[in-house]
Amino acid sequence: MSFVPKKQAYNAHVNAVTLGTGDKATVIGGQNVLPFYTFDAPIENAPKIGIEISDAATEWTAPGLKQFYEGCTTMADFAKKAETMEGADFLCLHFESADPNGANRSVEDCVADAKAVAEAVSLPIVIMGCKNMEKDGELFGKIAEALQGKNILVMSAKSEDYKTVGASVALAYGQKVGAETADDINLAKQLNIMLKGLSINPENIVMNIGTAAVGYGFEYVASTLDRVRAAALAQSDEDLQMPIIAPVSTDTWSVKESVATAEDVPEWGDQEERAIGMEVSTAAANLTGGADAVIMRHPAAVATIKKFITELV
Amino acid sequence: MALKGLDIFKLSPKKNCKECGCPTCMAFCMKVASGAVELSKCPYFSEDAIATLSEATAPLMKTIEFGNGLKLGGETVLFRHEKTLVNETRFAVSIDTEMDAATVDAKLADMAKVDYERIGERMYVEAILVSNRGTDAAAYTALVEKAAATGRALVLECWDVECAKAALEVCKAGKPILDGATPENWEAMNDVAAAAGVTLGVWANNISDLYDTVKNLEAKGNKNLVLDVTAATAKETLANAVNVRRTALKDGDRSFGYPSIVNLTRFAKNNEHLQTAYATMFIEKYGSIVVMDQMSYAQALPLYGLRQNIFTDPQKPMKVEAKIYPINGADENAPCCLTVDFALTYFLVSGELERSNAPVNLLITDASGMSVLTAWAAGKFSSSTVKKFFDENDIENKIKNRTLIIPGKVAVMKGEIQEKLPNWNVVVGPLEAVQLPKYMKDKEYEAAAAAAAAESAAKAAAGAVEEVKELSFEELLETKVPKIEVVDMGVKYKGHNPESKTFVTIGERIHCISPAIRKAMDERDPAPILKRAAEQIAAGATYLDVNIGPAEKDGPERMMWAVKLLQENFNNVPLALDTANKRAIEAGIKVYNRTNGKPIVNSADAGSRISNIDLAAANDAICIALCSADGIAKDNEERMKHCHNMLERGMSLGMASDDLWFDPLFLVVKGMQDKQMDVLNAIKMFSDEGLKSTGGLSNNSNGAPKAVRPIMDSALVAMAMMQGLTSAIVNPCDLRLMETIKSCDIFKDHVLYSDSYLDL
Repeated sequence: MSFVPKKQAYNAHVNAVTLGTGDKATVIGGQNVLPFYTFDAPIENAPKIGIEISDAATEWTAPGLKQFYEGCTTMADFAKKAETMEGADFLCLHFESADPNGANRSVEDCVADAKAVAEAVSLPIVIMGCKNMEKDGELFGKIAEALQGKNILVMSAKSEDYKTVGASVALAYGQKVGAETADDINLAKQLNIMLKGLSINPENIVMNIGTAAVGYGFEYVASTLDRVRAAALAQSDEDLQMPIIAPVSTDTWSVKESVATAEDVPEWGDQEERAIGMEVSTAAANLTGGADAVIMRHPAAVATIKKFITELV
Repeated sequence: MALKGLDIFKLSPKKNCKECGCPTCMAFCMKVASGAVELSKCPYFSEDAIATLSEATAPLMKTIEFGNGLKLGGETVLFRHEKTLVNETRFAVSIDTEMDAATVDAKLADMAKVDYERIGERMYVEAILVSNRGTDAAAYTALVEKAAATGRALVLECWDVECAKAALEVCKAGKPILDGATPENWEAMNDVAAAAGVTLGVWANNISDLYDTVKNLEAKGNKNLVLDVTAATAKETLANAVNVRRTALKDGDRSFGYPSIVNLTRFAKNNEHLQTAYATMFIEKYGSIVVMDQMSYAQALPLYGLRQNIFTDPQKPMKVEAKIYPINGADENAPCCLTVDFALTYFLVSGELERSNAPVNLLITDASGMSVLTAWAAGKFSSSTVKKFFDENDIENKIKNRTLIIPGKVAVMKGEIQEKLPNWNVVVGPLEAVQLPKYMKDKEYEAAAAAAAAESAAKAAAGAVEEVKELSFEELLETKVPKIEVVDMGVKYKGHNPESKTFVTIGERIHCISPAIRKAMDERDPAPILKRAAEQIAAGATYLDVNIGPAEKDGPERMMWAVKLLQENFNNVPLALDTANKRAIEAGIKVYNRTNGKPIVNSADAGSRISNIDLAAANDAICIALCSADGIAKDNEERMKHCHNMLERGMSLGMASDDLWFDPLFLVVKGMQDKQMDVLNAIKMFSDEGLKSTGGLSNNSNGAPKAVRPIMDSALVAMAMMQGLTSAIVNPCDLRLMETIKSCDIFKDHVLYSDSYLDL
């Protein structure tokens, strides 16, 4: 008698969350099987790729990035160009220069940038802050207000500031909100419960369950992804059924493997290739574990992951 | 599933007759499981039991060895958080007979370039897949010989029987895998592999043919197999890899319980970036050998890093080597930052130091892979371990700069380190790693270092350091222990009968992790300690735990003072003596009054602290025995192994088994929810063997909201008492918990019921 594999689709499914509006709107999440397990059931929505555009992007030094964005000076220039990148499903505006301990760009400047981008592009927009909670709180509210009706995702609300961020982003201006925790499934669940407690609709919540570059404690990310997905599907835990977005590039482009020059470590070879390798591998590891969207930077890495996703679903 | 000692135990006669030479049936079964003793040593196993056992002995997934001892497979779970993944993915590069000699040479030379160490592990391409594309046996053999000359393990991808036979002749000594059986040729290939004594790889066009072919080979008696699950597309290959592993481990079908080969060159040929993506996926999803066109550093750095992450034991933290790590081109004139060897701590701290752009020597000391505070509390990161590290690595001579920055979290160690390393200027650094870049850039440590230097100079000027002579306990008691004043705290300890079966609560509130207690211990200030003691006694604690901290310097006199203080004030309340300093425990026992029960040594484990059992035995004390060695036991098999090791040690030293209180190690729900039942089941096993148990029960609710903790603790103590827990280290001031314990003692018929039982 011949072997027939047992199928393992679940009754529960990951929430499908729509970002953006119109033709270019994109849906993340929705599946009722483990990532890429098409042999158990078809994947409802293929995982999506967001292109990171930093307000410090003019300082990027990788030759492939410089070449791709040649002539771009403003965030809107970068965004328009990024929209043409093969594999781009949405854009992620990263306001790292807003950091008061860094360039300390004003909220007004950042909002003006975000507005200019929104007018110039049609892909959905995701907002990433500078990791300074106070500044981000203000920035997120203002951008959510300025981009009302664009159905953007703002990353992220944490357990310390979920009330402010959740209230302004999701309740006042009807945008999607990211729930950010650091490799802790219990905290991830609790934060979702608290966001829902503010009367935010679960369909407006996306999770960032913690990130790391491969090699840098990625086991915590991997196990959290495994466990979150198991809870969402096998245990039908509604408080963990939000789709997962993984910011990849912000981690991978700052580790030694990507930063060390060819002069620093001659045996390692071309620096840009190493950065692409770290970005590709970290994105693939996140997608294999259960991320429904990844945020990436380099065109070659994006093209690779696009092909990876297309071949697998 | 591998047959476990506990499975054998279920079928054992449970007579504890000792005829086999083991103290208990359980101990015997553990030895049988580990292969140390034959089952036949026990005359009382039934024939049925013996038959059942031999059938169940096969693991669900085989471990296959190839090359120079490379292990594949042997996995027991699908996800690493369920237990641990044991044999990491191995990488191979592919060469074939259609390549010209120059290409092959270049590939092998490139392959050899990737060879480096990462967190104690050699990272290199372990194997070469040599693919035969024709029927020319001589040409294939020549290529195989060339590959074998590199010394790497070989996988022969060869579907031609004659070519395979010839190639094996020249390389079989190196234990290659012959990846050559198909639904068409399996019989002949089986003979070739068997004759050469090598592992046979099986491939088929679809998964059901693969299954049938494995069944055929198994029927011929060959279970030395690996499964080449590669298909024409990545999608189908993933399906095969997952279905094969899932069928074996989840459905228990051993015919798919073999390691896998995934050959990326068949569906992602010549696309380096895409191969990096797929190799990543198959590290996570069940590739035992992943074959690639090549392995550049741009591929190796992420892939080997990820592999090391995924295949770490979730219960055992990764460690980096203890040594000097010069950062930003630091030389002997750069200042030093000190921290522990927990890999994440290292990555975090070194990353932040790099961002500071300031040259600095990062000193990593051996702390058993624990984080800073955990290591400090466990005595693994102390002035002695730091001193030892400085001596062993000759830091004094290797580095000229004398500024030593220690983590802000262990500011308390500053004085002791300064004393042990008098030539250094010890400075307390920031609390968090993220503060380091600014701290280093702005040289915030300079003023503190200058102050430390000035202080040392002043001390030196004041005269030579007094010579320290080790005093006997009597001398210490005479000269260093302040006289105890008895204060009426309005509480009287009501006494304790060591024979009683009632649950023993050990009050945990006198602990040096509390700043107030630490200060009181340092200053020998009785008031704060007496206050906490009185509260706990009033709340009904049976024993009090006395934690005096690592107390490297003045442990003995500290402990003697604390013991006398508590016992003289509270009617000889029995105590658990809790410190990493053994001499301090000994000193404490010297002045201890046994009226209300023996002293408890807190604690021994089955690893580096096992000698605390000897200490307890020599002093007729009770010993808390943690069922762990280095890190948390991964399952009850391991817990019971540690338990029996310690039991044997104690009994051989003349201890009564009653005097070892086994601690299963209560785990925190937030993080280890799926392991809670394991802990409870371990308590049942202790109890079934007539052993006593204890543990830090409230650890389960660590990090939970204050209002929730008593509820969780009470529920857990009730469940644990049902399983046979005899004692716990708790906060007796938790009323709900204490009432639950008293109620359980009623149900267990340890205390006679009366309407006022809660008030007693």
